[in-house]
Amino acid sequence: MADKNLRILVVDDFPTMRRIVRSLLKELGFTNVEEAEDGQDALNKLQAGGFQFVVSDWNMPNLDGLEMLRQIRADAALAALPVLMITAEAKKENIIAAAQAGANGYVVKPFTAATLEEKLNKIFEKLGM
Amino acid sequence: MMSPNEAFENGQLSANDDLVQRIGHLTRMLRESMRELGLDKEIEKAAEAIPDARDRLSYVATMTEQAAERALNAIDRAQPLQDALGARAEALDARWAQWFAEPQSLDDARELVSETRGYLAEVPDKTAATSKELLEIMMAQDFQDLTGQVIKKMMDVIREIESQLVQVLIDSVPQGDKRDDMQRLANDRRHGEARQRDETLLNGPQVTPGGADVVSGQDQVDDLLDQLGF
Repeated sequence: MADKNLRILVVDDFPTMRRIVRSLLKELGFTNVEEAEDGQDALNKLQAGGFQFVVSDWNMPNLDGLEMLRQIRADAALAALPVLMITAEAKKENIIAAAQAGANGYVVKPFTAATLEEKLNKIFEKLGM
Repeated sequence: MMSPNEAFENGQLSANDDLVQRIGHLTRMLRESMRELGLDKEIEKAAEAIPDARDRLSYVATMTEQAAERALNAIDRAQPLQDALGARAEALDARWAQWFAEPQSLDDARELVSETRGYLAEVPDKTAATSKELLEIMMAQDFQDLTGQVIKKMMDVIREIESQLVQVLIDSVPQGDKRDDMQRLANDRRHGEARQRDETLLNGPQVTPGGADVVSGQDQVDDLLDQLGF
């Protein structure tokens, strides 16, 4: 089981969804959670350092989740950061594009607490966190 | 020679024929010039956006209704649990108060102790069940994100209809300075609003289920990723 002190960044332009994801993470024991309201805000926070995990929406103003993911993978300091996408984008080409850009998981909205837990654990297991 | 009456009637007749012909000619001209200006296409585009907006509105109505029902159902399940916990605690407390006021036999006390322990043992199960319902109420709020995205898309559609209709209006104004001014104003507005983004991968929630290139749920996402070897 992953370290409960894992510092997680939740990225979504809708405050309601950030609250929901944050509460679900808390339910799972992760309390060290920060929020960002779009991809650009998230990149700034990530570059400042200290994060070990990112949970991100796709469709956001300024910088969307896919572009943010690409920039994370292109940045040597951030490239290894696990990124779980939680998005309403349900087209197959979206899922393929996210996987190709290096997403570690893909959860489609609306989702359940059990799905989030399962995907998180799968990533922790795979990465030996 | 025609009688004056006949002549009058013939003249009237030919004047009527002439009028109908002229209206017909005008109508044809209007239709042709609309086609030449591309106006029919613009009106068509604006009209096509309306069913899309209708689908989105009905998605919003369904999602908000489902969310409200989900929350209310969870409350209906949680309330009796809370009420039962409170009522049993009150009853036990009253019996303890009575026992302290005038202590009875030890057997009575033993029974009360055993019932109280039974109650304490069952409290965590009941509160866990209530917590589960609270989580359900929280998850029901996810509609706000999904309907919010759909409403934002709809505002784009409405903006598109508006600019198409404004264009039709402008094109119907005779050529001249006034029309040029109007056109400039409309262009400025449209450019100010247009965010040049690649929108092909930004569709938001699927408002009409069943598209061939769309997954219907998390299971299909997982299957697809498995197939791709991710």
